[in-house]
Amino acid sequence: MSAQLAMPGTASAGPILEVDALTMRFGGLLAVDAVSFTARRGDITALIGPNGAGKTTVFNCITGFYRPTAGALRLHRDRGGVAELQRLKDHNIARAGVARTFQNIRLFPGMTALENLLIAQHVVLNAATGFGIGALLGLGGYRAAEAAAVGRATAWLRATGLIERADDPAGALPYGAQRRLEIARAMCTAPALLCLDEPAAGLNPRESEELATLLRAIRDGAAAEGAAPTSVLLIEHDMGIVMGISDHVVVLDHGKKIAEGPPIVVRNDRHVIAAYLGEDEEA
Amino acid sequence: MIARLGGAIRDAALATLVAFGLFVVMVGLRTDVAPGGELFLRQRWADVALLCALVFAGRLLVSLWGLRPHSLGQSPGRAALTAKLGTFFAPALLAFALVLPFVPGIGRYELDLGILVLTYVMLGWGLNIVVGLAGLLDLGYVAFYAVGAYSYALLAENFGFSFWICLPLAGILAAFWGILLGFPVLRLRGDYLAIVTLAFGEIIRIVLLNWTELTNGPNGMTGIPRPTFFGLPFSMSGEPDTFAGFFGLEPSPIHRVIFLYYLILVLALLTNWVTIRIRRQPIGRAWEALREDEIACRALGINVTATKLTAFALGAMFGGFAGAFFATRQGFISPESFTFIESAIILAIVVLGGMGSQIGVAVAAIVMIGGFELFRDLEEWRMLVFGAAMVVIMVLRPRGLVGSRTPSIALGERRAVSAAHVSEGKG
Amino acid sequence: MAYALQQLINGVSLGMIYGLIAVGYTMVYGIIGMINFAHGDIFMIGAFIALISIVMVISGGFMEGPGALLLVLAICMAFTALYGWTVERVAYRPLRGSFRLAPLISAIGMSIVLQNYVQIAQGARVKPLEPQVTGGFEIMREGNFVVQLSNIQILIIMTTLAVLAIFTWLVTKTPLGRAMRACEQDRRMASLLGIDTDRTISLTFVIGASLAAVAGTLYLLRYGVIDFYIGFLAGVKAFTAAVLGGIGSLPGAVLGGLLIGLIETFWSAYFSVQYKDVAAFSILALTLIFLPTGLLGRQEVEKV
Repeated sequence: MSAQLAMPGTASAGPILEVDALTMRFGGLLAVDAVSFTARRGDITALIGPNGAGKTTVFNCITGFYRPTAGALRLHRDRGGVAELQRLKDHNIARAGVARTFQNIRLFPGMTALENLLIAQHVVLNAATGFGIGALLGLGGYRAAEAAAVGRATAWLRATGLIERADDPAGALPYGAQRRLEIARAMCTAPALLCLDEPAAGLNPRESEELATLLRAIRDGAAAEGAAPTSVLLIEHDMGIVMGISDHVVVLDHGKKIAEGPPIVVRNDRHVIAAYLGEDEEA
Repeated sequence: MIARLGGAIRDAALATLVAFGLFVVMVGLRTDVAPGGELFLRQRWADVALLCALVFAGRLLVSLWGLRPHSLGQSPGRAALTAKLGTFFAPALLAFALVLPFVPGIGRYELDLGILVLTYVMLGWGLNIVVGLAGLLDLGYVAFYAVGAYSYALLAENFGFSFWICLPLAGILAAFWGILLGFPVLRLRGDYLAIVTLAFGEIIRIVLLNWTELTNGPNGMTGIPRPTFFGLPFSMSGEPDTFAGFFGLEPSPIHRVIFLYYLILVLALLTNWVTIRIRRQPIGRAWEALREDEIACRALGINVTATKLTAFALGAMFGGFAGAFFATRQGFISPESFTFIESAIILAIVVLGGMGSQIGVAVAAIVMIGGFELFRDLEEWRMLVFGAAMVVIMVLRPRGLVGSRTPSIALGERRAVSAAHVSEGKG
Repeated sequence: MAYALQQLINGVSLGMIYGLIAVGYTMVYGIIGMINFAHGDIFMIGAFIALISIVMVISGGFMEGPGALLLVLAICMAFTALYGWTVERVAYRPLRGSFRLAPLISAIGMSIVLQNYVQIAQGARVKPLEPQVTGGFEIMREGNFVVQLSNIQILIIMTTLAVLAIFTWLVTKTPLGRAMRACEQDRRMASLLGIDTDRTISLTFVIGASLAAVAGTLYLLRYGVIDFYIGFLAGVKAFTAAVLGGIGSLPGAVLGGLLIGLIETFWSAYFSVQYKDVAAFSILALTLIFLPTGLLGRQEVEKV
């Protein structure tokens, strides 16, 4: 298996997610208009664009919070096979291997950091309990599963520098730590594709730099003990981060894809500059 | 000081003016029906004056004392203290409950009160699963209590099943109804869920009231079999196949009361045990996560509907157990026992106790139901006091008695989570 | 046909009363997002104050005719409004910004207090009042069946329409109405813009209670018997109406009230009287399941 894992950033890897003519319409408003792109396995793919470009809408379609009006979203599973995300309910999308974070952090504030990470492993753990009945009677199989889950959670708390705060309520953590905890929580679902919605929003430059390092490590499977390489899809406003860590950039404007390619190419694209500077493209 | 006193007097005078407006018509003029059938007014100005004086004095005291509601839950220090107290308090309370029937001076009346309180403790713990842990606002919990009671009565009377067969069946039937009612409505948001559960509670009561062939309607069902001590009836005859005869005791009616007391104690403790255990399991954590943030749960692959349903069904099941117990204890049930006010009282116990806190719920049940019983000589006034107590406790302690939350797992020492961080759900 | 027409008239007049109460629920829900559980009991208090004033003014022989009814209505609205104001001040305001369930429990407590207060102050017995408004018109006749539009029904419909017209003007055209709508949109922003939100919320309760007072008066005149317990069922049904119409929507509340009134009346007329409440509640459940925001409610987009 490991031989098949492509080196990060190389073009030889197959796709992890294919977005095919994705269209989303809210009433009369066409928020996303036939957008197609491919995120490759082992890449960090960035989705950028000015405000109102439709990034978050694309994102919400991929993660199942919106049902697209038309188009297809194909997730290529690790073990082969394709999941048609647009046909799945949101919690089944997560089970298919897509994890996400939220633009305005959505942790479980009254529960500790550790508990947050255990809930992320609910699907596995719950099955190990025999859906509650076995665990209620104290059957042994669950103990091993729980110990493994705590081990994974601990590894991710270390990876995000939160191990000291493991028993603190998530709501009591500083903002930057909450952002990292949310990423750790998403990673605890052992996703094939990690989707981050503006992970650097509100972070100071030092924290942003740490975030970039963490994301690279996640891509390479080096972030935490026992972590597998994970493809990343992110929406980000901070161009420093996007250009620094992305392998592939997709640019949206007014619900349409206007450019795509490696950061260096996109940065110099005439349409992209025009979209960001608000100039008339015909000029 | 003088200025403060002056301000307080002005406040009190204003309050008195409002009180006068409130009472002048409703208390000052009482409508009575004359023998001829027409209405006439009786004037009671002295009562109005008395009430106004009371309001004046009360308001004055409140402003001078500076009685102010807590702004936000408790400080972490106090939360820790409460938790520490709880660790001693809960076993002490349990020990007391265990020996109660044998404490000298505890008679039949006290035991009956104990049974009543424990019934509400159990109902509170059952509803706590739904409201406190999963954050689902259920205003119709009494429906499951009713389903349990009627299931027991119908199964026992029509098929002659014994209590020990009927009890699990009543719980299962109640859980089944919980799933049946819960399935379509659990995706509704907070207050909509509240009102629909209330409506279901009322529907079940109205059906029980009107389906006379099955339930005997408003007259209720009588002659429900009393519980036996695993087959040995409690009887005054003293025959060898009765409880007293078998154990060679002097036959006494108190035996049954003591048995019922321990029965409800065991049922309540079962509820508590299951809840505490499940809270440390994935499913229990998922309930709490649901209360904290449903959208995040969905993003983590948790099947929200199924998770809500388990909470709803489990809560309903314990309600059903309590209902079966109620039926066998009373020997008589009618729809009158299952009105909305029961749901409100149980919900009040959960919220006053501090949502999600087992010990808080137990204390709230003791205070509310015990207190209610203390005022029994006041007749109609006691309901008034009960309602007023609900308002006052909420104003003084919006988060209930125990607002903090104990984590279900910890790497180091388990520390209570202050109420300020814990959310109460929108579902 | 004639029978159905009669039921339509009865249903509309009953629905108007529900609608008036529902407006109070929907206003409070819109502005502070809580179920004012005691609102049904405010309606009950309104009915009692109307009863006392009728006995005082009309039976006491001070006045007669439409003028007397207007006076009764004015007294009733004023005193009931004071109850609405006090309930908010005592039981809800200290809990503003608190946890979501605290005001609800406080409201349920208040509802228990009001019921028992009236029971103690006015007695538990049912109060019968001889009909004050009699007579009516014959609209059509089909065989032996006469379709009647009674004067009291006309009174109910006219009064409700007039009150709702004044109320609509109040909410849409006056500074108070603007302040209310601003608080409904965003209370914190409204207070930053200099709107006295406490006062606005108080006034919302006062207006809601006044409308409930009108409903209480009309209910008393129409049905002639009241007791301290009428508030609960009327309250639950009115809340049902508010939800059915789309909570937060004022026209929705009236529409929902009419629908509940019609459903209840037609169900009683054609199926069974015992199960009329079951019908109303089932419609509520079905509406919520298939139309979660009610008939005229705003679609809430889930922001993630």
